[in-house]
Amino acid sequence: MIKITNLEKFYRTEEVETVALNKLNLEINTGEFVAIMGPSGCGKSTLLNILGLLDDPDGGSYLFNGTEVAHFNERKRADLRKHNIGFVFQSFNLIDELTVFENVELPLIYTGVSTAERKTRVEEVLTKMQIMHRRNHYPQQLSGGQQQRVAIARAVVNKPKLILADEPTGNLDSSNGNEVMELLTDLNEQGTTIIMVTHSEHDARYSHRIVRLLDGHTVMENIMM
Amino acid sequence: MIKNYIKTAWRNLWKGRVFNLMNVVGLSVAIACCALIFMTVYYEFSYDSFHQNVKGIHQLYTVTNRTSGTERSTAMPIPLAPALKAEYSHIKYITRSANSGALVKAGAKQLDQNVHFVDADFLKMFTFPLVEGNVNTVFNQLNNVVITQQAAKAMFGNQSPLNKTILITIGQREEPFQVSGVVKDIPRNSSITFDLLLRFEHFPNYKTDLSKWDNWSHMAFVEFKEGYNTQNFAKQLKPFVEAHYKADIDLLKRDGARPDETGSLLSLHLAPFASNHFNTNLNGVEGYPVSKTYVLSLLAIACFILIIACINFINLSVARGFTRAREVGVRKTLGAGKWQLLTQFWTETIMVCLASTILGLALCAVIISPFKAMFKSRINLAMLFQPQHLLAILGIFILITALAGFYPALIMMRYKTVAVLKGNMGDTAKPGKIRNTLLVVQFALSTLLIICTIITWQQINYLSNKPLGFNKTEVLSIPVNKGIDGSKALQLMRNDLRSNSQVEAVSGSYMNLGRGNDGSTRSSIIGFGMNGREIRTNLQRVDFDYVKTLDIKLVDGRDFDLNFPGDSNAVVINESMARSIGGRNIVGRYLFMFPEYQSQIIGIVKDYNFKSLHDKIEPVSMIMRKQFAINYVFVKVKPGNLLHAFDEIKQSWNRQYPNVEFTGSWLNENTERQYQSERRLSNIFVSGAVLAIVISCIGLLAISVMIVIQRTKEIGVRKVLGANVAGIVFLLSRDFLKLVMIAAIIAVPAAWWVMDSWLQSFAYRISIQWWVFVLATLMAMLLAFITISFQSVKAALTNPVKSLRSE
Repeated sequence: MIKITNLEKFYRTEEVETVALNKLNLEINTGEFVAIMGPSGCGKSTLLNILGLLDDPDGGSYLFNGTEVAHFNERKRADLRKHNIGFVFQSFNLIDELTVFENVELPLIYTGVSTAERKTRVEEVLTKMQIMHRRNHYPQQLSGGQQQRVAIARAVVNKPKLILADEPTGNLDSSNGNEVMELLTDLNEQGTTIIMVTHSEHDARYSHRIVRLLDGHTVMENIMM
Repeated sequence: MIKNYIKTAWRNLWKGRVFNLMNVVGLSVAIACCALIFMTVYYEFSYDSFHQNVKGIHQLYTVTNRTSGTERSTAMPIPLAPALKAEYSHIKYITRSANSGALVKAGAKQLDQNVHFVDADFLKMFTFPLVEGNVNTVFNQLNNVVITQQAAKAMFGNQSPLNKTILITIGQREEPFQVSGVVKDIPRNSSITFDLLLRFEHFPNYKTDLSKWDNWSHMAFVEFKEGYNTQNFAKQLKPFVEAHYKADIDLLKRDGARPDETGSLLSLHLAPFASNHFNTNLNGVEGYPVSKTYVLSLLAIACFILIIACINFINLSVARGFTRAREVGVRKTLGAGKWQLLTQFWTETIMVCLASTILGLALCAVIISPFKAMFKSRINLAMLFQPQHLLAILGIFILITALAGFYPALIMMRYKTVAVLKGNMGDTAKPGKIRNTLLVVQFALSTLLIICTIITWQQINYLSNKPLGFNKTEVLSIPVNKGIDGSKALQLMRNDLRSNSQVEAVSGSYMNLGRGNDGSTRSSIIGFGMNGREIRTNLQRVDFDYVKTLDIKLVDGRDFDLNFPGDSNAVVINESMARSIGGRNIVGRYLFMFPEYQSQIIGIVKDYNFKSLHDKIEPVSMIMRKQFAINYVFVKVKPGNLLHAFDEIKQSWNRQYPNVEFTGSWLNENTERQYQSERRLSNIFVSGAVLAIVISCIGLLAISVMIVIQRTKEIGVRKVLGANVAGIVFLLSRDFLKLVMIAAIIAVPAAWWVMDSWLQSFAYRISIQWWVFVLATLMAMLLAFITISFQSVKAALTNPVKSLRSE
């Protein structure tokens, strides 16, 4: 599904150039659950942002389902993103002014789904995430775990092929964290490819493969059995 | 989608309600002021536009090049109009026109009416449609009179006035007239106003001046045949002028006057009637012209306020946008396109603008009365709903939403997704050049208005306090009403007040000093030959004790005195006149001002400002010639207890004329009244400056809120490292104060230029002082500093642990 070759990313200021990704190579197959680990500043989040087409690489190739997407323009990237990729963030990133229902509905609005179908699909996914009873609440009225479930619901409502999760349990206690990891595992079992950045060895154990980064390149890959 | 936008917009607006309220208040105040000002300006520009052929109508005026300078005058001699029409084939219509007050009797009713003496062409040129009578025949008979519907109603109630007879007293003569036509009531935006139209033959002195080309007494209007190029008028009329004004031109030549570039000493010109309402350059035009500068100043201030409010709107929206950067990031991640984001933020702008417009119009309704009083505006609320005004409001609404809405939406759309999701604003948070430029523009306009306010106030203060050379405070001026013999009134008052211990002196004159409660101003200038050259002087018909009553200082000779019977032919002159005559030992010399007799100079008074301080003091000659009426009675009282004195004089008047209203006023009230337009201008500048400053400060406040949010971490770190409150307040204010300073540097030369041009219209004026600019700059900086302090002090006092934790 994903093949990156010699991927490079630099951050430049007037005097210093920092290498975030250094000729990185990585391949991820459809249906895989991959955890990306490494110390702070090793390029994990940069990689995730490039994979999610939120950021441009400075060099190398990025094939998504066989298409070179490294140099897509803003419009094409937005289009590919909204149909194929779902995001889960550490800080949930729910919109405070929208209710649970409306937050989950948002991706469907941007993909132009009809009102009736939106309602069906949002209710379906909220039920699945066991958060249907909170549909009319605002994010600040929910617990952290509930908020992350809403965020996952929002990430999956468009039935994306790929979910990118950036430390999804980082702001949660262990029991809520485990719940979220179970949810991700379920999604993966149903066929969704998942790439997750994490600091937690515990969470990483839910994945099939751990990619360890240091100074912008892969240092080790562990296959989980 | 739209529903979703509106819903989100509403929740966002509600969440940021303090910010948005500031936005709405600023914008709605600006919209209300602009709506009122635009209506006023539209109204002023609409003057006389109801005349169907207004562009074809012109008023005649002469330009005379005298040795003393160029003189423009709209006063025409009686034989001019008929001669011009007979000799000049391009003229379609021509009419003479003169105003007078008259006492009208219709049955038992007695009314004070405004009479216009006109020729038959008048109603063909000007669009005053007849509701009764025929335009071609209404002036067929010499005793025909045309009246307005309002006058008809006042005289005859609901009866048809046609062919009814009324008695009209003009001067001292009462004559019967027959109503031959009724014109529709005159629109409010008409320069020409009248109750009655009479044939020009009834104009006083018509018969005696019928063939005199040197007696200039009335206005004249012409309308040309189609296709005539008015540019050629002065040139084509040269032979006509040279033939008919030969005597005048010969006198000018004798005095050594220099011809202008066309070789003329005296020439006839045309002033377009379409711009009559703004024609303040010519004395003697219809109505009360207003200065175009005044109207344009209003317009400029309205535009300034609108610009300032729009800038606020932009800055506030951008500031609010920063707090929503994360939302933008999330929406982009979820696949929102540029246009979708732009539309969403624009929806919010439209909602704020709509709320502001509605609130602004409601505010209009509330403040229209004080506005009308303050600016002497004749607008009404109904005008707001006229199609052209509704369209203008719609236009302003679209302009604001387009200009003020697009930029903030664009800025928000450009946030870098990855950065804003992390709460890092990156480059977008840096104070942009655009924002700084906008702030500079706002404060430049505000400083400009502060400077204008200070300078107009100084000039008005100067006008009010400059000694004028006569007693302003203890002299009461009483206009003698229409239909009353002024000399008789003066005599009656003099006799009645003789025994009054409060009264020091009583006199009377033809011209008032300043502008009395009757609102009229008069002037009379004559020229006469002396030692082979022409001397021109203002004539002031006075009565005994005039100099004494007004406390004018005698520098030589004496005042008119009852004990000298020969004084009725004597003359008292001012110093300017004495200089004009030249030589020494002027008292005792004779002037040949009138053909019947010589006038002996019996006294010279110190120069005094008998006109407003717009004009330099000109030569004036006081005479007691009976042909000029006494129009004003002056009473000088003892200092102190002026109110009591006023009451006693009023009672005295009421004893003589129980049915005639007493309209006396102190001379200082009269002189103040001359500067009404300056006061209005000053009011405009003050209100404009206050509004501009308040709205600018609202904007600055919002921006300081934003800056403090952005620099929370920096403030925390600095405090941990030992910065004190003053240091942090200074840090946060410094950049803004720099901008205000730049604004002042831009505003100062502009303000100097504007105010210097304005001051040029006064013969007596203040000189602009440097400290005014420093004061205005300091005021702007102080206000900006106070505004920023609300936020910066709060930020500086916050516990650094709290601000660092927010990271």
